[in-house]
Amino acid sequence: MMKTNKKIKTALGNALYTLGITIICMICVFPFLWMVSISLKTKAQSYDPSIWFFTPTFENYIRIFQDRGIAKFLLNSSIVAVGTTLISLILGSLTAYYLARFEFKRKEDLAFWYLSLRMLPPMAAVLPFFVMVSLLKVFDTHLVLIICYMLFNIPFTIWMMRSFFEEIPKELEESAQVDGCTFVQRIYKIVLPIAMPGMIATAIFCIIQSWNEFVFALFLTANKASTLPTTVQNFLSVSGVMWGEMSAVGVVSTAPMIIFAIIVQKQMIRGLTFGAVKG
Amino acid sequence: MDDRLTKKKGIKQYFMQRPHLIFLMPTTIILAILVIIPTVFLYYISMTDYELGYNLLKAEFVGFENYIRLFSGKDAVFWHSVWISLLFMLATTSIELVLGYLTASLLNLKEFKLKGLVFGWLIIPIAMTPSITGQIWKLIMNAEYGLLNHILEIVFGTKITWLGAEMAFLSIIIIDIWQWTPYMALIIYAGLRSIPAEPYESARVDGANILQKFRYITIPLLKPLLILVVLFRGMDSLKLFDIPYVLTQGGPGNATELMSLHIFRLGFAQTGFIGRAAAMSVVLLLTITFLSQFILKYFRNERGRAQ
Repeated sequence: MMKTNKKIKTALGNALYTLGITIICMICVFPFLWMVSISLKTKAQSYDPSIWFFTPTFENYIRIFQDRGIAKFLLNSSIVAVGTTLISLILGSLTAYYLARFEFKRKEDLAFWYLSLRMLPPMAAVLPFFVMVSLLKVFDTHLVLIICYMLFNIPFTIWMMRSFFEEIPKELEESAQVDGCTFVQRIYKIVLPIAMPGMIATAIFCIIQSWNEFVFALFLTANKASTLPTTVQNFLSVSGVMWGEMSAVGVVSTAPMIIFAIIVQKQMIRGLTFGAVKG
Repeated sequence: MDDRLTKKKGIKQYFMQRPHLIFLMPTTIILAILVIIPTVFLYYISMTDYELGYNLLKAEFVGFENYIRLFSGKDAVFWHSVWISLLFMLATTSIELVLGYLTASLLNLKEFKLKGLVFGWLIIPIAMTPSITGQIWKLIMNAEYGLLNHILEIVFGTKITWLGAEMAFLSIIIIDIWQWTPYMALIIYAGLRSIPAEPYESARVDGANILQKFRYITIPLLKPLLILVVLFRGMDSLKLFDIPYVLTQGGPGNATELMSLHIFRLGFAQTGFIGRAAAMSVVLLLTITFLSQFILKYFRNERGRAQ
C-alpha cells in the first residue's frame, strides 16, 4: 500500500510514528521512573529536580525497613491479598462454571447483578462497614479486609472465569462422560487443567486489585492490619515530607504489581473488561 | 455400616440433583449478606444524628433531617461537590475516550517488533498503586521543587501552582487522564483488531472516505465495547477517592471536594458527623446505581444483539 509513496516520505513517516509512540510510552512510564530515581537520592537531592545524574544511595530503602517497619505492611498486604484471592477464586469459579454450563431462568439477571457490584462506590460502602466493624470489635484485623475485598473480587472472578470456561468445548466434557468419568472427575481431569492458565491470570488480577485497594484499608485498619497503600498517611504531613523514603515505599509497593501485570499481559484486556472482551 | 453408606449416597444424590446449591448459593449468599446488611445499616445511620465516638444505641432518630440539610442548601458544599463530581466524570471519561481512541488507532496503524514492550509500558499507570501514584504526582506537581514547574521554568519561564485553589481540580483531571488513557487505548486497540477487514474493503470500493468509514463501520462495530469502557471509567471516576485524597484531601478550600471526599470530610475529617456522611453516602450510592443500571441495560441490549 505504502510502496507507491516516495521513499523519503515513508522514512519521515516512520520516524514521526516512532517518535509519537516513544513520547506516549515516556509519558506513561515517567512518573514511575521518577519515583525510582527519587528513592535513590539523598534527602537534599530529592528537593532539587535539576539533578539528573547522581550516585545512587540505598539508605532510603534501609531506613524504611529499619525505622518505618515496612516489612509489617508488606506482610499485611500479602496476607490480605492472598487470603481474599484464594477464597474468591474458589467460590467465584464454582459460580462461573455453573453460569457457563447450565441454563436456568433469569441467569443473565443474576450475572448482571454480580457485575453491578463492581460499580459500588467504596467510600459509600465503607461507612456502614466502619460502624459495624467497630461495634463487633473486629476493627483493624486481616479478616475484615479479606471479607470486604471479596465484595469486588468474587464478581470479578465470576465474570472472568465464566469467559474462560465458556471457551472450553462442551464436547470434551461430554466425551469424557461417555467414557465413564464422573462429574467430579470431569472437573478435575479436564476442566481444571484447561482452565488453569485462566485461573492463574484471574488470581493475579485479584491480587493486584486487593493490593492496590485504598479506601477499605484506610478506614478499617489503624495499625495492626494496615496494608502498604495506607502508608501514604505517614507522609501526608505538611512540613518536611520525606520524599526519598516515600518513594522507596512506593517502589516496594508498586514494583511487584507492575511485574504481576506484565506477567498477565496476554490476558490484560480480558482482565480490564471483566472478561467481556477476549483480547 | 450399610445405613451410613446409603445416607452418604443420599446426601450426594441430593446435591447432584441440585447443583446450584453448591455452585451458586455460597457466592450469592455471601455477596447478598455483604451488600444487603451494610446497605440497610447505611440507610438507618443516615436517619440518625450519630457522631463519631458516641454510643450508636443512644443516637437519636431524626428522619430525613440529614437529607433535607443536604438538599436544602444548608450544607453549602453539597451541590458544589455533586456538580464537580459530574463535571469530573464527564471531562475525564470523554477526554480519555478520545485520546485512548487516537492512541489505539496509532498503534493499530503499523506492525512493529517492540509492540509487546509498548503495551508493557502502557500497563504501568494502570497497575501502579493509586495512592502511591497520587503521592508521586504530588511531588512532581510541587510548586517549588516539582519537576513539572522545573521544566516549565526552563522552557516558558513561568511556574504554575498546580495544587493551588485555581488549578487543583484541573490537576486531578490531568492525573486521571494520565492514569486511565492507556486503559482506554489498550481496550479500544483490542476492539479495532477484532474488526474484520471486509467491511472496510467494500467501503473502499464504494469510495467511502475516512470519516464515513469511521461513522458507519468502526463506531457501530465497536459500540458494545465503547459502552462498556464508558460505563467502567465513568463509574470509577464518579466514585474516585484515593488520588484526590492523597493530593489535596478535597482542598484547597473545597476545590477538589468530590462526592467521596465530601463523605470523608463530613464523617472522618475534623468533624465526625457519621449520620450526615451516611446521608451523603446514600446520595452517592443512588447516583451511581441509577447511572450504572441505565448504561448496563444499554450494554446488555447491545451485547445480546452481538451474540
